[in-house]
Amino acid sequence: MSSSELAAAPGADRSLKRVDLASASGSRWSESVMPLLLASAAIFSGLVVTLVVFFVAYNAVPTFRAEGLSFITRGGWDTQINNAFTPSKTVFFGAEPLLIGTLLSTVGAVLVSLVLGTGCAIFLSELAPAAIRRPFESLVQLLAGIPSVVFGLVGLSIVVPFIQNYVVPANAANVVPEIPIEGASLLAAITVLSFMILPFFVTVAVDSLRAIPRSYVDGGLALGMTKWRTITRIQVPAAAPGLVAGLVLAAARATGEAIAVSMVAGAIAFSPNLNHGPLYMLLMPIRTIASSIVETGGDAMSIPSIASALFALATLLLLFSLILSLGARWAFAWFNKRMGVRQAGGVQT
Amino acid sequence: MSVQEKLRSKPQWGSGFGQFACWVAAAVVSAVCLSIIGYLVFQGWHSLSWKFFTTDPSESMREGAGGGVRVPIVGTALLIVLAVLVMFPIAVGAATYLSEYMDESSWFTRVVRTGLEVLASVPSVVFGMFGLALFSMPIFTFLSSSGAEGASQAFGRSFLVAAIVMGVHVLPFVIKVSEESIRAVPVSYRRGAHALGITKWRSIRKVVLPAAAPGIVTAVILGMGLIAGDTAIVWLLLGGTTTMGASNWWAPSQFLQVLRGTGATLTTYIFFNSPAGDGNSPQLAYAAALVLVVLVLALNVIASIVGRRRKRQGS
Amino acid sequence: MSDTFASDSAESLGILETLVRPAVSRAGEREAESTSAPMVTVNGLGVAYGSKTALEGVSMLIPERRITAFIGPSGCGKSTALRCFNRMNDGISGFRISGGTVLLDGQDVYARGVNVTALRRAVGMVFQQPNPFPMSIYDNIALAVREHERGISRSTLDGIVEQALRQANLWDEVRDCLTQSALSLSGGQQQRLCIARALAVRPTVLMLDEPCASLDPISTGRIEELLLELSADYTIVIVTHNLAQAQRISDKVGFFLMGRLVEFGDALQVFEASARPETAEYVRGAFG
Repeated sequence: MSSSELAAAPGADRSLKRVDLASASGSRWSESVMPLLLASAAIFSGLVVTLVVFFVAYNAVPTFRAEGLSFITRGGWDTQINNAFTPSKTVFFGAEPLLIGTLLSTVGAVLVSLVLGTGCAIFLSELAPAAIRRPFESLVQLLAGIPSVVFGLVGLSIVVPFIQNYVVPANAANVVPEIPIEGASLLAAITVLSFMILPFFVTVAVDSLRAIPRSYVDGGLALGMTKWRTITRIQVPAAAPGLVAGLVLAAARATGEAIAVSMVAGAIAFSPNLNHGPLYMLLMPIRTIASSIVETGGDAMSIPSIASALFALATLLLLFSLILSLGARWAFAWFNKRMGVRQAGGVQT
Repeated sequence: MSVQEKLRSKPQWGSGFGQFACWVAAAVVSAVCLSIIGYLVFQGWHSLSWKFFTTDPSESMREGAGGGVRVPIVGTALLIVLAVLVMFPIAVGAATYLSEYMDESSWFTRVVRTGLEVLASVPSVVFGMFGLALFSMPIFTFLSSSGAEGASQAFGRSFLVAAIVMGVHVLPFVIKVSEESIRAVPVSYRRGAHALGITKWRSIRKVVLPAAAPGIVTAVILGMGLIAGDTAIVWLLLGGTTTMGASNWWAPSQFLQVLRGTGATLTTYIFFNSPAGDGNSPQLAYAAALVLVVLVLALNVIASIVGRRRKRQGS
Repeated sequence: MSDTFASDSAESLGILETLVRPAVSRAGEREAESTSAPMVTVNGLGVAYGSKTALEGVSMLIPERRITAFIGPSGCGKSTALRCFNRMNDGISGFRISGGTVLLDGQDVYARGVNVTALRRAVGMVFQQPNPFPMSIYDNIALAVREHERGISRSTLDGIVEQALRQANLWDEVRDCLTQSALSLSGGQQQRLCIARALAVRPTVLMLDEPCASLDPISTGRIEELLLELSADYTIVIVTHNLAQAQRISDKVGFFLMGRLVEFGDALQVFEASARPETAEYVRGAFG
């Protein structure tokens, strides 16, 4: 078409604009302000943890200043809480039994989880036929989604009576007269905690096993190893750092669990001991750091010394969580490094 | 060994046992999981009724006085809504910034990411204590009533307080999943928008975020599941009462007072009514537990449906 | 770690000599000896994955203590045939034998009651990409040996490891660093380690699936020389894309095309006077 025809065509009054670099499709205001708003959201999210740590630790200072390290080496928590209600008495709190309780319950739960969880992880990544694998994966996720209070409720209704009726020996009251052996115990806590933390470990373990290159397994099979031996002698050792990371994650979950433990472990801050043998040690009631906070918290918070002691407990818990979280991160980095070395291996000269 | 001898030799025993042990482990875990659900159904099913859902818990101390679970359900719903309102803008904002604007190599990024990771590791009890410490300060009396201590301290416990703390608790999780969804949006979308002359923020708002929306929604729904299931924060910051802060709490005029008051959620209700608590209606605890588990399950299922839709769209 | 280019160069002259020596003399060298008995007899072998046919009507006699090469374009069934000999195909879903037999020293490999792990001891395999385990050099070799001989003493094991590494011409290079990770070796060394690993369980047949595909010419030459040495004691079957390599080292050659064994015979004859036109075209380089 010639230019005169173009000019005569409908819509021709829209002359071609010169390119205008000055105008943009968005207002300059939003382009400069929005990133700042977003950045502040990011900064807030990253730094709010310092707020948490500060407020918790700040309120714990009175206890630590009064007691120092003896807070964690001394026992007698229950009596001290009782005494604190009397204003005239100065009370020094001893959280040692709580620490022992936390340690024993966490270690026990992690061990059970390791055994059951490794089996489940191998099952999911190597042994399960496809038709079973997906439902089982859903079951594990379901287990992860069950709230802690429900675990506590079921533990209280099934596990504790079971222990009381079938595990506690008939003459328990005579053997250990000073504390009630009635099913609410370290054993109950370990049982319940194991299944609570299992999904975390299994998820990480399955991912680690699946990350091992198939060529290693093929190499083993071609050498005449059975499938099971390739799993145990090649895959699991290679995936070990990942499994460690999963365990640390699971341990972190166990230390932080307050509600379920408080429901099934008994209400006595007692340090389990081996005086009457390992069975009785498992049957003794315990309290953990986390469970003590929820049990004592509430009305008792109105008394300043108790409140500060509870904040001291929270600070300890924070410390443990931090250490475990850093440990998990380090284990993951170790695993990734190993995987990276594998892929980069065999560089040609 | 000749070839014939090699081929006819017996296979090693022991491998079968190992595989069997793994099957047993999987069976045990499946059994436990299904038993938990089954037990709740078995114990709680017959308490479920229309009356159960629409009556408030009974105040009486009589054994088995029962009542309903209306207040706790409303409490859970209220908590979820408030917490999501509080944390959603921050979570999406932070996730967007982390994905689109942040420079991965700068120290600033490392600080933020470390901070988020540490935040994610904090147990919920500690968050509960944090809430008590922070919101008992007098400046925060507007969030809760000033309690018996008078003007020097806020009561520190209310739905608002619990919601804020809960929001902070699930923040790292929602940010992580949202950021993944935003990052998963193909680079080609962004390049296409830029090539058309659309500026960065506008392209994020109009192209990237809508594409990432299903994933972000998934993150929020999963976060709602976490909120619904948490007990420690709620117990510390809402207490073990079974009533709302105002007697006719459903009236809009009382709304603010309800938010500033204490109450119950499904989780504290269960805790309270379980044999470990002070309540005296253990049967209702099972029923409430069943409702709670169904709720959390439903949220997870919805989240995975939305997530699957995203995969179909995005690839 | 002694594997640098410099240390290779001392032996590289010998290798280059091998590489340039005319193919004719190598392949014909052992003609004078009496024809050896077949170690592997394949009769009308057919393989399918689901509905897809991978092999059809493959028949050949693989001689004992010789090098047999499978050549042919990609995807024509060479590797599938190889994996039938040690039943590594068993793990692939949809795999089935659609006909024929594979006899190892007269025994049907797919018969009922055959101990598959023992079969894989007798028929060793080396893969295209070196795949040493993420363990020390020593453990790479020791692992499978320990599997098959429980309660073996440390000194016996040391001896086996040393012998295997010597057989693979790797001993001198790694004797001082046996505890180092196998992944720190170069590609050529890793592949020789995989050969040593396979030899340590004392197979009768050694199969190699394009073992030099990812290696440089010097390493390739060393492995070819190694295979020539090993063929005095082991039956060797090698899949290769490298026609010159097949000419250099093999005694018998099988040409695979589209899942069928088009021609199988003495290397000399297959390369110089092929019975089939397709073979002649492929060997000429008309297609690949």
